[in-house]
Amino acid sequence: MKTLKIWMLSLVLTGLASFSFAQGGGKAEEVKIKTSAVCDMCKATIEKGLAYEKGVNKATLDVDSKVLTVSFNGQKTSVEKLRKAVNELGYDADDTKATPRAYDRLDGCCKKDAVH
Amino acid sequence: MLSYRRRAFWAMTLLGLLLSFAGQAQNLAGRVVDAANATPLIGASVIWLGTNQATSTDANGHFTLAPAPAGQTAILVTYIGYKPDTVQVQGRSHLVVQLKSVTSIKEVTITGKQDRYSAMTPTNSQVITAKDLTKSACCNLAESFETNASVEVSTSDAVSGAKQIQMLGLDGAYTLMTTDNVPALRGLATPYRLNYLSGTYIEAIDIIKGTGSVLNGYESISGQVNVRLKDPEKSDRVFVNLYGNSLAKWDANVNTSFTLTPKLSTVLMLHTDQLSNRVDNNHDGFLDLPLGKHYNVFNKWKYNTGKQWVAELGIQALRETRIGGQVGYRSGMPQQEGSFYGTESETDRVSGFSKTSYTFKNKPYQSIGLILSGARHDFDSQYGTRPYKGFQNTGLANLIFQSAFGNTAHTYKTGLSYQYEDYQENLAGQRLKRQERVPGAFFEYIYQNSTNLTLVGGVRADHHNLYGWVYTPRFNVKYDFNPNSIVRVAAGKGFRVANPIAENVASLISNRAFFFQNDLQPEKAWNLGGSFTQYFEVGERKGAFITDYYYTTFQNQIVPDMYSSPYQVAFTNLNGRSFSKSFQAEVQYELTSMLDIKAAYKYFDVRTTYNGELLRRPFIPNHRAFLNLGFATPFDKWRADLTAQWFGKRLVPSMDHDMNHHETSIMTRTVSPYAVFNGQITRAFKRWEVYLGGENLLDYKQKNPIVGADNPFGQEFDASMVWAPVIGRVIYAGLRFTLK
Repeated sequence: MKTLKIWMLSLVLTGLASFSFAQGGGKAEEVKIKTSAVCDMCKATIEKGLAYEKGVNKATLDVDSKVLTVSFNGQKTSVEKLRKAVNELGYDADDTKATPRAYDRLDGCCKKDAVH
Repeated sequence: MLSYRRRAFWAMTLLGLLLSFAGQAQNLAGRVVDAANATPLIGASVIWLGTNQATSTDANGHFTLAPAPAGQTAILVTYIGYKPDTVQVQGRSHLVVQLKSVTSIKEVTITGKQDRYSAMTPTNSQVITAKDLTKSACCNLAESFETNASVEVSTSDAVSGAKQIQMLGLDGAYTLMTTDNVPALRGLATPYRLNYLSGTYIEAIDIIKGTGSVLNGYESISGQVNVRLKDPEKSDRVFVNLYGNSLAKWDANVNTSFTLTPKLSTVLMLHTDQLSNRVDNNHDGFLDLPLGKHYNVFNKWKYNTGKQWVAELGIQALRETRIGGQVGYRSGMPQQEGSFYGTESETDRVSGFSKTSYTFKNKPYQSIGLILSGARHDFDSQYGTRPYKGFQNTGLANLIFQSAFGNTAHTYKTGLSYQYEDYQENLAGQRLKRQERVPGAFFEYIYQNSTNLTLVGGVRADHHNLYGWVYTPRFNVKYDFNPNSIVRVAAGKGFRVANPIAENVASLISNRAFFFQNDLQPEKAWNLGGSFTQYFEVGERKGAFITDYYYTTFQNQIVPDMYSSPYQVAFTNLNGRSFSKSFQAEVQYELTSMLDIKAAYKYFDVRTTYNGELLRRPFIPNHRAFLNLGFATPFDKWRADLTAQWFGKRLVPSMDHDMNHHETSIMTRTVSPYAVFNGQITRAFKRWEVYLGGENLLDYKQKNPIVGADNPFGQEFDASMVWAPVIGRVIYAGLRFTLK
């Protein structure tokens, strides 16, 4: 009887777990955002900043193409919010410009007009 | 469609090959300029990273570098007075490198993860970064050193809870403390100075072993601790930190910064800590740490034209009151036999500094700077029946001119300084007064070849109104066998006028008579030493091995002898030898991408002549070990730290008094080794961080830290014989809020 109860419980738990997993995975969307990042330090800043945004699963910046690839949960966030997050880190995102204050505070080497 | 793609692919590949071919065959040409005003930097060094193949820039800042010998893709560009930069060449054949100025007056801003042992400085330097600072409990400077092996923090006595730093086995008074490279918290502020700066005011801390540079005066003997305060230009808009611990001590900190115009910015920093809970966990009838109230304000301004002028201004005011002693003691009670023993202190301090620098147009290596600072320190205290008052007015002016001879391989800094000190002390009716007026001049020459050798030679001459001319020579040499193996040698002299009472406040918490030899002379010492740093990579993970040895020998020292007799402390000039030999070996290694490890071993041999006999300094263990494990998940969402410190056996004075045989010898006994563990866990969110930690996790305590605690008005009473923690395990928690 006891064994059966444990079995039942684990079955329910497994079911719940896979359900929530399916839900989390099902809503995953991906977007590519063109940024004004110029160096590896920018990459670290942007990837770290986005990791703290709600709904973001993964964010990867390719420094050469300046393209940021974000995989996110569309129910928790939106592309607009992601662009805004990039702006607030001091970088342009597609057509939206960096927040001036955040841009001013970037290290010299991370500014888009820095000569490299 | 497919064929188009394929064709495009081949075209790209071919292009890529051509480009990389072109990149390899061609010389790399470029230009090095000042980031602020785009003027060319003449004589800057450009080197293929990890090689000896280097060149330097011509009169227009241009350089040409032969192709990299082994396919290196990055160059390192360095220039005296500028922040070095590593630039990825990425197949380009021409590039422009902007270097940012870091002249002694302007600042380097370093955030996040960086090498804790700098590869660039000519001195043996280490940095405690902003991230390291969040690894230990909050909120004063003493706790900032907990995850660092080079600086020891010890409790000075069992009543005041004051913490002192030690470097090279020598008392903290021999370490020069500076804030933003301006000498600070000197003289009478020394005993409690680690309390006077909150950890939340600090951007980073530089620790320099050895005598260092002549620019900041003659005082440093064992080393320098430079506290870099938050930069108004880079500070967060709002930062709040709240902290509470299991003793019911709490701290609150608020920083706020404003950019008023594009050129003018300010940061205002507030700190308070309070303890009103009486704690006596070792049941000796005495509070384990005093009740206290502390209010501290720091306001810093920066005016940066982005061109030639930069000016900074800082003002600090603080008030701290403490009440300690027996649990039953209340403020103002009469202190006599049959009543309670208590200690009270009140500190009122205001201080300020300003720094102005002008960089010459088209000569970025040439600048002139003026540093002014002043402080008024008022300390009023009572230890049982013994009152002590100390008052100090300080003023300092330092004018520094920096330029180059011919090209920037030969640069120099020279200038004039003037120091004014007014000390007034009153110890139970015994008055001590001293006024110092010290004009001085200094010159420092720096030679740096473009690859691997830096020589710094400096000398200063000061005329002290009480002690005549003081000459202070100092030398530093740095030689890179290759970019990963660096050796440094340092030699220099230090000079300071001791403040025997302030530096031995702990001894006031006893019934010892204070006895001063007539004609106490200034302290003078030579410090010689060197270090070897090896950066390495094992399995693509970076590490560093650092070992150093320093020998300090005193020509004169004020020796506080509290060991020859239990009834007095006698301050005398050194009569004989006094030295410290210090050896340290440290390894830092990234075990996995999430786990960093730091391990250190230290050996100290510190001896002083007491009463004609060269004896080991009590309380200083010969062997110490240090281990720090730092764990962080990607993006630092979770961080955990564990620090273990082990102290070998040591000699402590034996207070079992026996009149028959202690004519000359100190009676000592050996106490057993012990270890202290501290740990902390932090969880970070977008704007919030919460942390939970513990100090002295194994709850190790010294038994009976107060000698004669049952009769504090009796002759045997002494609270300064402390060699282990007085407070047991403390659990704390806190949160931080940041608005960037």
